[in-house]
Amino acid sequence: MKYVCTVCGHVYDEEAEKVPFSSLPPQWTCPRCGAEKAMFDPLEEKKERGNDGSTDESPEQGQGETKLSAGVLAAVFSNLARGCEKQYKAEEAELFAKIAAFYTSLSDDDDTDASPESLAALAQEDISSTYPAARKTAENKMDRGALRICTWGEKVTRIARSLLSQYRKGGEELLRESEVWLCTVCGFVYIGRKPPELCPVCKVPSWKFTNVEGGEM
Amino acid sequence: MKKTAVRNLRLCTKDCLCLYVCPTGATDTENSIIDTDKCTGCGDCAAACPSGAISMVVTHYPPQQQKNDDVKSILTSLAENRCRSERIARQLARKTDRPGEKKLLTAIAISSRLVAEDIMREAGFMLPQSRCTHELLEKILADPPQGFPAEAARKLLEMIEIND
Repeated sequence: MKYVCTVCGHVYDEEAEKVPFSSLPPQWTCPRCGAEKAMFDPLEEKKERGNDGSTDESPEQGQGETKLSAGVLAAVFSNLARGCEKQYKAEEAELFAKIAAFYTSLSDDDDTDASPESLAALAQEDISSTYPAARKTAENKMDRGALRICTWGEKVTRIARSLLSQYRKGGEELLRESEVWLCTVCGFVYIGRKPPELCPVCKVPSWKFTNVEGGEM
Repeated sequence: MKKTAVRNLRLCTKDCLCLYVCPTGATDTENSIIDTDKCTGCGDCAAACPSGAISMVVTHYPPQQQKNDDVKSILTSLAENRCRSERIARQLARKTDRPGEKKLLTAIAISSRLVAEDIMREAGFMLPQSRCTHELLEKILADPPQGFPAEAARKLLEMIEIND
């Protein structure tokens, strides 16, 4: 029997490892990306997903004028700042960043509902319903780019949820003598002394990781 | 398509072949950034560089891929959730005084933002030169929220040309 990590795709082969997956201790984590044991699924023949011949059944929402929240506007503009940076347009990048900063602070009103539980619940909601719905629409519309972000985003959201759960169980001990590493390309988070050589989600080299110090926002 | 050379300083190993082959001296600058005014876009420096540190970038970007309304709509709701995740994580990071938890929550906040940015890129805001970027800025300027940096938005509308 084989088990596959839903974050990075690492396969645990009971036959090769000589230890049944069920006998691994609960605190065992994925040797490649650090996801918890619970993030592994039994490896079956490739699951049939998406197009079962049914036609487009994604809800037709009268998109037209969607009002974007301040939080999303902050992301739109910080992304455009990044786009300008990549095009070596420093002045434009700075102007977009200024607008992004405005919307970041505008969106930062106190969320009375903010708790580690609500953060985990939101990740769960996206993993179980929002990402699958987005993936289905992307498949129906044959949008390769949208499919790609569904894959990366879902994996990154999964690892975030897993780390929150590991912290809930292990507390500060989880981070003792370890650093928190962030992939600056896809957002993958990794706890360890050194960053992974390749990002397990988007495959960029380790120098694209940054050491998160905390309190720099 | 007209191109211009750009140097990735991280990859540059100072072999200086770009200096030998450049017909206009555009690669010979104090700050190592190639002078776009002098660059003719011939590409000789990129071809000569043994470290692959120079790439040829177009000066006018082609129009971005058109996005379907359903795709935009579902990706926008996904981005809304990821931004809420960013906000919650940031607020929790501010509140806690445990150093490990602060780092982890800070990382999750930045991570959520990176995902939201990537989602919105796929929802139609890929290029700063896109028409939808301009229209968004114009729409905000028509009725700006209090404290909005209108001058920055106006400057951007002037500086960036629409390509679609």
